[in-house]
Amino acid sequence: MTSHETRAAQLFLAHHDFVKGVALKYAPWPGLMEDIAQQVFLEFIGKEQRWDLERDLRPLLATMTRHVAMRLWRERTREKPEVVQKLAEHIRQLAEERDAEPRYETEIGLLRECLQKLPEKSRELVQLYYYHDIATPEIAGQLAMKADTVCRALSRVRDKLRECIQRQIQKGGPVHA
Amino acid sequence: MREPTQDPEVLIQHYLEDRLTETEAGALLAMLQADPALAQRLTEQLNLDAMLSEVSAGATAAPAAPVLRPVLRRTRWLPVALAAAAAACVTLAGTWLIRPTHDAEATTNAVAVLMRGVNAEWEGGRSPLVGTPLTPGLLRLKRGLAQIEFYQGARVTVEGPAELELLSASEARCTSGRLSAHVPPQARGFRIQTPKGTVVDLGTDFGLDLNTPEAQVHVFKGEVELHPGGSAMQPLKEGEAMLLADTARRLAADQRAFASLENLDERTAESQRMAFEDWLKSAASWNADPTLLLHLDFQDSSHTRTLLNHALLSPGVPAGSIVGCQWTQGRWPGKRALEFRNVSDRVRLSIPGEHEALTLAAWVRVDGLDRAFNSLFMVEGYKNGAVHWQITRDGKLRLGLAGRLGHPGRDHDTEAILTPERFGQWLHLATCVDPAAKEVRHYLNGSLTARVSRPVMFPLRMPLAELGNWNNGGHGGATEIRHFSGLMDEFLLFRRVLSEAEIRRLAR
Repeated sequence: MTSHETRAAQLFLAHHDFVKGVALKYAPWPGLMEDIAQQVFLEFIGKEQRWDLERDLRPLLATMTRHVAMRLWRERTREKPEVVQKLAEHIRQLAEERDAEPRYETEIGLLRECLQKLPEKSRELVQLYYYHDIATPEIAGQLAMKADTVCRALSRVRDKLRECIQRQIQKGGPVHA
Repeated sequence: MREPTQDPEVLIQHYLEDRLTETEAGALLAMLQADPALAQRLTEQLNLDAMLSEVSAGATAAPAAPVLRPVLRRTRWLPVALAAAAAACVTLAGTWLIRPTHDAEATTNAVAVLMRGVNAEWEGGRSPLVGTPLTPGLLRLKRGLAQIEFYQGARVTVEGPAELELLSASEARCTSGRLSAHVPPQARGFRIQTPKGTVVDLGTDFGLDLNTPEAQVHVFKGEVELHPGGSAMQPLKEGEAMLLADTARRLAADQRAFASLENLDERTAESQRMAFEDWLKSAASWNADPTLLLHLDFQDSSHTRTLLNHALLSPGVPAGSIVGCQWTQGRWPGKRALEFRNVSDRVRLSIPGEHEALTLAAWVRVDGLDRAFNSLFMVEGYKNGAVHWQITRDGKLRLGLAGRLGHPGRDHDTEAILTPERFGQWLHLATCVDPAAKEVRHYLNGSLTARVSRPVMFPLRMPLAELGNWNNGGHGGATEIRHFSGLMDEFLLFRRVLSEAEIRRLAR
């Protein structure tokens, strides 16, 4: 591996969260963001000799990510029933039309702090669903709740986290290393 | 099939779980078209969901597993091609669920774990490593110290020579040797059988010496019950000792008699320091081997992103480049290792030339087998004699050799040897491609575990390769995710077949 390739990889990793934010904007499908980031990384490194690493890489990475996102989006959704494809396309257009810049890289740091502030029950739910990858019907069985109730509870937890992140941003956000 | 819902919160959640039915998808689409605020809400929820998934995936220590059998709900690490195939194949009467994976729940018979060993040597077949879960059965400690924690909470330190048979999470039988036991309140009732009677602990610290003909029990704290063979139960209190052969006499407990079982922290540290120094000497001794292509000892400084190749006679094989991995501690304090955790983590390597014979060897700590194929060392793509050294999801060590010169590719597997009981332990893995014997041999901790026939030999190539990860060599489309989850602190690659004695030496 050349030093240029090493430098390219390091720079990519410094922009990893930026790439994920762009991926989410152009392919708002659950679970797709990581696949896109992985693919962009490989394509970026595969052509590293072409890149001027002294320049701001964001425009380049944004373009690459958008192309990869569109490609994987098509692959992911084309097998779906027609109504699902329509829904997916509608959501994608909504996400793409939003003026807001991707905020992923700012917010993920704040999210870690906000998670610590959740009430115990909410944190338990987050652990079951996100850390242990347990589906909502199974969580409902364990907690003796209806599956729909678990869905609403998860939605409320995300709302709380969103509010917490917004508060942090308004306050100027904490300093992160 | 579940009842379709009209609740937008529930529909959004089903969308996030990728399990909307067609009816639900239609309902959600209509709601989104009618209500722009809901669309905003959905994208906010998706954003939070993605961030939470990443934060949880990056957690270094997940909380204790819940009682519930895990039913995996996500497809986030599933390769795109596989996901598409799964989506195409799995259609449930009017729904388009991607069916969650129902993993068979793993089980274990272990009742204790070996927590520490100080110069411990075992005999009689079982030679557990530190961190090994222990199932019921006999342990023969030839010499040294071993500390065993029973799952019920009792901690027993044994000095060899000793024979200790584990019976359950709260009971053992000791027929020879000397031990000390710490039994916290949660483990009250912990029992040790001896040939001369049984000691039942009531929450205490005590010592048991079976190296003397009469067998002695000394209570340093709390209280124990003695059940001598053929006579009535005798309570024994703090500061008292008794000969099991003569329960009429009470003696004063003598902690000094068990001093050799104390100060385990310091002795463990000393033992680790010596092991590290031994390794420093022996690791360097390989570097002048003319057949050594690559020796990464992972002792490079923490601010560097390069792994130096210490093979003195292979100047054409450059240093490895670290991508993503973080530095951490290896087998001993002072030994450095790289942690492979994220999808980007890898060490990029380039090994010119073609080689008929090979030996790959690495010290690794497997933390989990999350992927279908978990890379140890993989050449880019899979063609033209590429080498893929990996662990399958079910714990088989595999050497995949891509076809070349008209010969087909072939996998060479062990049985499932890297099972969950071995996760979290430092393990030495080695694999040889032996053209003379026309076989591939796999070794675990220096012991031969599998020989797999390889009838057709052809030169193997490793022009660009990765430790702990893989990429498809720049071909279009998505790349399957095959990164390793765990630590690595040494890697050697030879262009010859190492003897069994040499592999044992590497694994010491």
